[in-house]
Amino acid sequence: MDKIERLINLTACLLETKRPLDFAELSDTVYRGLSRSQNSLKRMFERDKDELREMGIEVETVESEWGDETGYMIPRDRYYMPHIDLEPDEKVALTMVSRLFLGSGTPFSVPAQLALLKLAFERQAAGEEVPHVHWVETPRDSELLGDILDALVRRKLLAFSYRSLGSDEAVAREVEPYGLFNKSGAWYFVGQCHLRDEVRCFKLERITSDVEVNPKNPKTPDFEVPAGFDIHDEIDWERPAGGKADVKAKVVFKPRLSFAAATGPARLLAEKRRADGRLEATYEVADPEQFVEWALGFGTDAVITSPAALKEMAKDRLRGILEGLGGS
Amino acid sequence: MSGKVSERLNRLLVMVPYLARADGADVKVLCREFGLTEPELMQDLDTLRMCGVPDYTPADLMDYWIEGGRVHVMMADYFARPLNMTRPEVLSLFVAGSALLRSGVFAENGALDSALSKIERMLSEETKEELEKVISHIEVEMRAYEGNMREIIDEGLEKGMNLELDYWTFSRDEMTSREVEPLSLVCSQGYWYLLGWCHLSDDYRLFRLDRIARVRLTDNPCQERVRESFDVPRVVGEYKPGRKAHQVRLTFEGKQGRRIVEQWPAAQVTEKGDGTISVELRTRNLAWLATYLLRFGGQVKIEGPKELRKMVAKNADELLEAYS
Repeated sequence: MDKIERLINLTACLLETKRPLDFAELSDTVYRGLSRSQNSLKRMFERDKDELREMGIEVETVESEWGDETGYMIPRDRYYMPHIDLEPDEKVALTMVSRLFLGSGTPFSVPAQLALLKLAFERQAAGEEVPHVHWVETPRDSELLGDILDALVRRKLLAFSYRSLGSDEAVAREVEPYGLFNKSGAWYFVGQCHLRDEVRCFKLERITSDVEVNPKNPKTPDFEVPAGFDIHDEIDWERPAGGKADVKAKVVFKPRLSFAAATGPARLLAEKRRADGRLEATYEVADPEQFVEWALGFGTDAVITSPAALKEMAKDRLRGILEGLGGS
Repeated sequence: MSGKVSERLNRLLVMVPYLARADGADVKVLCREFGLTEPELMQDLDTLRMCGVPDYTPADLMDYWIEGGRVHVMMADYFARPLNMTRPEVLSLFVAGSALLRSGVFAENGALDSALSKIERMLSEETKEELEKVISHIEVEMRAYEGNMREIIDEGLEKGMNLELDYWTFSRDEMTSREVEPLSLVCSQGYWYLLGWCHLSDDYRLFRLDRIARVRLTDNPCQERVRESFDVPRVVGEYKPGRKAHQVRLTFEGKQGRRIVEQWPAAQVTEKGDGTISVELRTRNLAWLATYLLRFGGQVKIEGPKELRKMVAKNADELLEAYS
């Protein structure tokens, strides 16, 4: 008998029974025909119970009145998906959410779809005619991401080899994973690195081995996440911190691209249409570098007209690229 | 999605209730909803045939039959309703939900918030506590979905009405007007796109939201044919550059190179010992790249093709002219 069949039978049996069943009864039914000693059967039953509990199926242990007998059953009120009273717009929202990662190969894709099927069983999810929102980034290695998520959820140590940007060799690391994030399509995780003895950020693509989730004491966490940990501090590592929006800048757009004025990485303060049809937009800029790069992305269709410092920055970039082209 | 024992078990405990309904369940729909091939579905069904309750006589086992393309199961009253949501399932709903809330696809304190808190209320205290810790430490960053065109796009998607777009094609540097059957909002590399069937190109197209200059709701309903037959990952997959693409080689210095690596997951990246990063990528169109590269100034060296070097030089010259 396959393990999956045994687990289904155990679930069915403990769910259907009207009174707690003791182990003798189970070994005569679910575990019948397995040529094992009674002790070994009992251990198998304990492992099966743990596995069901992992999945969220609670096997309740009931002591008899005199305490000499132990019975088991699965309480139905906790096993079955309860009825959740959802409004029509809530159904639409949950359906959209559950489909966000559909087919993207992240560890969220399959569970979210199963959650929807559980909700949909009592028509608690909306039908097909729901607006679609999709996340289409497929991680290069779904299994790796799955293992990291597992370690994060159970707070277990991760061991892997990692080649940091700018170094030639991969180094073995041991990390307590605190958080996981995706930025511009790439996955990262953050955690306490035992090698460097500080909180570090790791990009999944730079992991050169499998990751090993600490197999010891699977039911006990290896660490606790420090109370002050905030994933958002880690996500913004790229940008200089605390940039104050104190630079006012003007950009002139050619008429056909004037719609782009509202898409900038700075707050749009004012727009003015010039007599020649061009649009002059005024911004409050916190990150001058990022702003100049954005404006250069429109080529000759957008030109920064003030302040002089930003114009110089733009011209520097243009001269730089021309030098590189001339010099080779 | 065949996988580990616990995954199969969870799947079967959701699937059996669907099969045990009076009218059974459609084979094709089952495969689609559960992400299975037909042989994988048959394997699951054969497993069920071996399962049941004591005394495990044929009358106690779950048996299935297929009639008119629908699967039916008898003798499974105890599995008449699905298993409660597992932790990974709740976690996934909350991770996706908070990404969509933060990016503004859903409004704060709206339908999504209240739906998620109804799910939260059914969890045990212990599970709730565990999940809260984890959820706040996972973030999927998406650019804000906003702008004044948003309402019109949403209306088109919800009502299934065609949209008329003025769209700036970055790669060809041209503005065109077209009628589009809106199919889905797509988030890729942090940007929002509208996926639609484009009547101008008679094909699926992705439109980046911040490059749509103008949008108008038309009176033309989407054609069912197009709506039904699309599949996002497949459609997006078609946007990989083909064989005709140009092979581009660039060398970046230091910090800029690092950012490029983050932005172009599809590029081939080699880190050299001297701190420079060599990037190789394929693109069908050089025009967009010739403008895009300007921002990197002296930190990029264009190794090839020659055509691209010429285009960048021309762009930089013209723009310097405009700045002086």
